[in-house]
Amino acid sequence: MGNILKLSFILGLITCISAGGLSMVNSFTKPLILEQKRLATQRALKIVLPGAANGVYVPFDESELYFAGYKDEAKTEISGYAYKAFGKGYSSTIETLVGVNSEGIVQKTETLFQQETPGLGTKIEGDRFKTQLFGKPVNTLKVDKDGGPIVSITGATISSRTVVNSIRKDYKKFLLALKEFNTKNQEQ
Amino acid sequence: MIKSLANDLYLLKYFINAGRPQFPGINKMASLSSEFIKGLYKDNPVFRLALGLCPVLAVTTSIENGIGMGGAATFVLLMSNIIVSLIKNIVPAKIRIPIFITIIATFVTICEMLMQAYLPDLYKSLGIFVPLIVVNCIILGRAEAFASRNNVGRSILDALGMGLGFTLALVAIASVRELLGDGRLFGQLIFGENFQPVLLMILAPGAFLTMGFILGLLNWIDIKNKK
Repeated sequence: MGNILKLSFILGLITCISAGGLSMVNSFTKPLILEQKRLATQRALKIVLPGAANGVYVPFDESELYFAGYKDEAKTEISGYAYKAFGKGYSSTIETLVGVNSEGIVQKTETLFQQETPGLGTKIEGDRFKTQLFGKPVNTLKVDKDGGPIVSITGATISSRTVVNSIRKDYKKFLLALKEFNTKNQEQ
Repeated sequence: MIKSLANDLYLLKYFINAGRPQFPGINKMASLSSEFIKGLYKDNPVFRLALGLCPVLAVTTSIENGIGMGGAATFVLLMSNIIVSLIKNIVPAKIRIPIFITIIATFVTICEMLMQAYLPDLYKSLGIFVPLIVVNCIILGRAEAFASRNNVGRSILDALGMGLGFTLALVAIASVRELLGDGRLFGQLIFGENFQPVLLMILAPGAFLTMGFILGLLNWIDIKNKK
C-alpha cells in the first residue's frame, strides 16, 4: 500500500511540474497565437472578398465570425459578406471562411484551420476541390454521396462532406446575424 | 634512483585506477564524439534502428517539411534526454514509462505552442504530425535505452546525433520523393514546367519504396566494406 502511495506521489509530482511548465509557456504564447489567427483571417478575407476596398471589412460583432465587405471607405456600398463555418472533420475541427454575395451565391472560400490526413484530407485546401463550390448557391451545396453536385475527394470523403455541410449549415446562423446587423445599422 | 621513481609512478597510476569504481554495463567507455557520431550512420534511427518510421513516410513529401520535422523532433529529443538523464536516479523503475511519456508529451506541447506563435506556416504544413512526435519511437526509445542509463553530457550528445541522423534520413528520402513526385527540390522547379511527375512517389507506396531502396543500399555498402 505504501509503495503505491509513493509511486503515485512521484508520478503526481512530475505531472504537476509539467503542468506548471506548460501554463508558463501558454501564458506568453497565447496572445501571439491569437494575433497569428487574426492575421490569417485578415489574409483570408482579402481572398474571399476581392471586391472590398483594401481592408474595409467590418465584423458584425466582437466574435468576429461574420464580416461585411464594403466597396469604399465610406461604407456606403456592400461588396459581399464573409462568414466562418465550423465542422468536425476526420481528425480535427475544420474552419472555413466563406465569401458570399447578397443573393447567397458562394464567391470564394479559404480554409482557416484543419488538421486532416496529409495528402488526403488536406486536399480540401486545393483548387480542384475548392473551385467546385464557387458560383453555387449555398443551399444547393451537398456532396455526391448525399445527392449533391460536389464531387468528394477520393480517400477523403469525411473531410469533403464536413466542409460542404458546414458551409451550408452555418449559412443559416449567418443569415440570423445579418438580420441583427442590419437592424443595428438602421437604428443608427 | 630513477628506476625506483618510475616504479613509484607506475604504482601510483595503478592505485588511482584501481580506486575508480567500475560501473556495471559500461565495460568500455565509448568516446564522447562517438556518442554523437553513431546517430548519423552506424546507428541511424531510421535506416539502422528502424524507429519513427510513421512520420518519416508522411512528412518526406518535401525537403522543407523534412527539415522542419527533423528540427522539431530533435528539440523534443534533446529536452527529453536531458530531463530523463537528470532524474534517472529518482524515477522508480515500475513507473518509468508513464513518467517518460509525460515528459515527452509536455515538451511536444511546448514545441507546438512555440511553433504556432512564431512559425505558423511551418506548423500548418507539418499539420497533424507535430502532436504525433509524442509517439515517435525514437524519443521514447532513446529515453529508455540511453538517457535513463547515462549521464547528462552523453545524453545530450546522443540526442543531437540521433536528431541529426533522423533529419538527414528525412532529407535523403524527401529529396527523392520531391524530385520525382513533384519535379522540385526545396520548392524550386528542377525539370521545368513540362515534367510529368510520378504521382506514386508522393503517396505512401513511394515513401516505402524510397526508404526500402536506401536501406538496402546502405546494407549493401556495409557488406562490401566488411569484405
